[in-house]
Amino acid sequence: MTTHSIVRTSALEKRFGGIVATQDVDLDIPEGELRCIIGPNGAGKSTLFALLCGIHAPDSGNIFLKDRDITALPSFRRVRLGLGLTFQTNRAFHELTVRQNLEAPFRLPQGGRSSTSEKRYQYALSTFGLDMTSDVPARELPHHRLQWLEIAMVLAGGPDVLLLDEPTAGLSPEETLQTARVLRHLNDDGLTIIVVEHDIAFVREVAERVTVLHQGAIFAEGTVADITAHDDVRRIYLGQA
Amino acid sequence: MKYLALLTGPEDIGQSRLFWAVFVLLVVNFLAGPLWMSEFEASNVSYYLLNLPMALGLCLLWGYCGVLSFGQVAYFGIAGYLYGIIAGNMRGDPWGPLLGEVGGLAACAVVSAIFGYFMFYARVQRWIVPILTLVLALLLETFLGQTAGYQWRVGSVQLGGYNGMTGIPWFQLGDLTFFGYSFYYYVVLVVLVSYLGCRALVNSHHGKVMLAMREDPLRTELLGYDIRARQLAVFVIAGVLAGLSGLLYVQWGNYITPSQLGLVQAALPVIWVAVGGRSKLLAVAISAYALNWITYSLSSAGNQYALVIIGGLLVAVMLFFPDGIVVTLARNMNRQALARLFRRG
Ligand SMILES: Nc1ncnc2c1ncn2[C@@H]1O[C@H](COP(=O)(O)OP(=O)(O)O)[C@@H](O)[C@H]1O
Ligand SMILES: [Mg+2]
Repeated sequence: MTTHSIVRTSALEKRFGGIVATQDVDLDIPEGELRCIIGPNGAGKSTLFALLCGIHAPDSGNIFLKDRDITALPSFRRVRLGLGLTFQTNRAFHELTVRQNLEAPFRLPQGGRSSTSEKRYQYALSTFGLDMTSDVPARELPHHRLQWLEIAMVLAGGPDVLLLDEPTAGLSPEETLQTARVLRHLNDDGLTIIVVEHDIAFVREVAERVTVLHQGAIFAEGTVADITAHDDVRRIYLGQA
Repeated sequence: MKYLALLTGPEDIGQSRLFWAVFVLLVVNFLAGPLWMSEFEASNVSYYLLNLPMALGLCLLWGYCGVLSFGQVAYFGIAGYLYGIIAGNMRGDPWGPLLGEVGGLAACAVVSAIFGYFMFYARVQRWIVPILTLVLALLLETFLGQTAGYQWRVGSVQLGGYNGMTGIPWFQLGDLTFFGYSFYYYVVLVVLVSYLGCRALVNSHHGKVMLAMREDPLRTELLGYDIRARQLAVFVIAGVLAGLSGLLYVQWGNYITPSQLGLVQAALPVIWVAVGGRSKLLAVAISAYALNWITYSLSSAGNQYALVIIGGLLVAVMLFFPDGIVVTLARNMNRQALARLFRRG
């Protein structure tokens, strides 16, 4: 336990009316890790991300980013402290051009990204094949490029922690693999990444550790091998006896 | 160079040298107005121009930020009435009118800041904003409407109820009083500066954030922006611009009545902006000028149906050119040879 946690939650809880979307979640993501979060539909994965980013306020519990309690901070402050999120359904700005999308993120008044962030951003642009000066409206891009555009856009803000909610939804196997490679590389470069993902092949490709959510709570946590061998996980998630 | 780039940036119609050549010619033409217009005509043209700041402000707010205000006339009225009160009470003081302007615009900034704060920081749903803004305008109208009695005076100035406030002083800077040609020049200058200022704003980084907010406020906030503060800032700018139009209006006609803040007047800026095309400043400037010209010509020719005609025009435009006439024309021109010429400059 020498590595330092960058994102941490304690006893996080969220209800929507009668539905318990998140309960008793103690998440601890060490700096520099690439963590996958899996779980069946409705398990509360997206809700967890929404809580981390401040889209929803938790009913109880706390959220820490770099040891700072951010539970009461508005979303934009969390982003300025280093969080970056892509949504489950693509939310690049479809009516704006590729260039406008990439220029949209907040830049500190001193101007621009740190050299580390710049390197990551440029890497993502070139491997995703995105042209920073393109005046093509984003809506004219094929789906996989839109997905990549949203990731690149968030990287343009220079985050320290990247939250990706099902980034490979709707991508072909090759595109999924390409995405996995990029995330792997960014993570090797030191970026902390948390990915919600359904595709087990993808999870095998990228993750060190996996957290399984079930009915809003953490059901299991461990290495990919542990998790895929875990009988109960197979039962609830992989749909195998 | 940096400032020039803000003016020629991509977020408004016209980037080419040819465009700017035509633009400069047009400005020169306006400046040479006294050569081809009588003082009376110049005064009419002043009237067609004086609503442009309000229209441009609404264009920023609605077209670029996606926040529709139906009550910009509230700020028009606040500035107009306050100018009348301050300048009227300081009659004889050569700097009274300037103080009236400063006071009127400051009041617009303060009222729009407070009102906007409660709307945007309470995260009022977007479709409620037009209703709330309209309610403010109608409240002010109702209040001013019942100020007919002698007891309703501020210092030496009568508010006047539905008869309105009369005898509002001309604009004046020291010994220089603005009416006729000089007022015309002053209006042209204010409108030109307002337009270029708005144009620089939409091409700045803040302008790009405005477009992002228009499409997806939450996504924009999750890129690190305090969208409440940004929407509020644009709301205040739009309020001050509407106030500017209110000032020019009372300085032009020397009177104002509560009906300037009423339902019909409240609808007009929305129509000017929608008919030209709310997504581009220049489109709005052109349509606000043209529609004010048409309305004024129709009603001064004794036509009772000026508003019906303008309303009909709005319906027709929304049916056939939902993005606005000027914006649609500019877009189609872009596709054709003429546009290639334009862009090559
Ligand atoms: N805004 C909301 N209002 C009401 N219920 C919600 C809302 N968001 C999520 N839920 C409910 O919370 C549970 C978890 O949803 P979600 O976090 O989207 O799951 P996942 O992303 O794991 O599929 C589901 O039962 C869902 O219906
Ligand atoms: Mg989800």
